[in-house]
Amino acid sequence: MEEQVLSIINDIRKSKRLNVLDALKETDNLRTDLNLTSFDLAELTVRIEDEFGVDIFEEGIVNTIGEIYGRLAK
Amino acid sequence: MNYLVTGCSRGVGLEIVKVLLETGHCVYGVARSHSEEFKTLEHQYAGHLFFKSVDLSDAENVREEVFKEFVTNRIVLDGYVNNAATAYDDIVTNLNAEKLKAMYNVNVFTPMMITKYAIRNMLLHKTRGCIVHISSISAHTGYKGLAMYASSKGALEAFSKNTAREWGELGIRSNVVVPGFMETAMSSTLTQEQKDRIYKRTSLKRATDIRSVAYTVAFLLSEKAASITGQNIHVDNGTI
Ligand SMILES: NC(=O)c1ccc[n+]([C@@H]2O[C@H](COP(=O)([O-])OP(=O)(O)OC[C@H]3O[C@@H](n4cnc5c(N)ncnc54)[C@H](OP(=O)(O)O)[C@@H]3O)[C@@H](O)[C@H]2O)c1
Repeated sequence: MEEQVLSIINDIRKSKRLNVLDALKETDNLRTDLNLTSFDLAELTVRIEDEFGVDIFEEGIVNTIGEIYGRLAK
Repeated sequence: MNYLVTGCSRGVGLEIVKVLLETGHCVYGVARSHSEEFKTLEHQYAGHLFFKSVDLSDAENVREEVFKEFVTNRIVLDGYVNNAATAYDDIVTNLNAEKLKAMYNVNVFTPMMITKYAIRNMLLHKTRGCIVHISSISAHTGYKGLAMYASSKGALEAFSKNTAREWGELGIRSNVVVPGFMETAMSSTLTQEQKDRIYKRTSLKRATDIRSVAYTVAFLLSEKAASITGQNIHVDNGTI
């Protein structure tokens, strides 16, 4: 699961010409550490939903990678 | 191109489906009833036309019923035509909250939820998709008995303009077609006298042509309208 999330985030970062990451930390903040905008987060949501069938934003805002893992582990 | 059209069983929706099929597109139609006219088109355009019976009064269920079971993520959605609607016709002093909510579910809340999932499909596939809402001239001119109905169309027009603003950056467009009075099931309860009064308020002095409305929708969906977004296009015989 963590590999897939990393790969999706790297795809989005690549399209924004940001460097590709080797790993994600649970404490990484999606906006401030990973530089994702609200549009990027919308894309992240639909791609995660497509792979895992879970809408990570359904129960409110998600701020960190750890929170995404939390929603996916439910 | 793949288009989702609601209210495809009759009237304007059926006409929009026909025009899109004639121009070689694929249509996913939604309504409660699977009409004979729609079935005839399914035979004629096998492989290009699909139907699912969905009651659009339930905004909570559209994700499952429309986007999980019908227009799934495996389909690249190029556009959504929000045509299905009901009219709750009465004077304001008789306003009934339950009837108002029932109308808003079909005319406003469900279309907003469908827009959410249509844009999500477009995001997944990086499609520069297009949304067209069908409003009504009553939102602009005002008619006795149509305050509640017209208000639901006003809500859609504001929603469309803001959707256009919000998603324009990603190439997604949203527009509204504003038809005048048309001869369909929705208007069938009006007397000839009432109709004549409505026609008098138009420049062309007659009912709006359904075909003209459908062609305008198809135009807005097409590349020909690539620079048009956030607009209300009146197809109303020049209503004054
Ligand atoms: N007629 C006019 O004079 C006029 C003027 C201005 C604007 N408009 C607008 O034009 C659009 C088309 O209207 P029309 O005149 O073609 O009306 P219509 O003949 O009454 O058709 C309405 C369509 O919406 C569908 N629909 C209604 N409630 C539904 C529900 N709960 N779930 C799923 N589908 C539902 C109907 O299918 P089922 O019954 O099979 O579900 C039908 O296909 C509407 O947005 C209307 O507000 C009409």
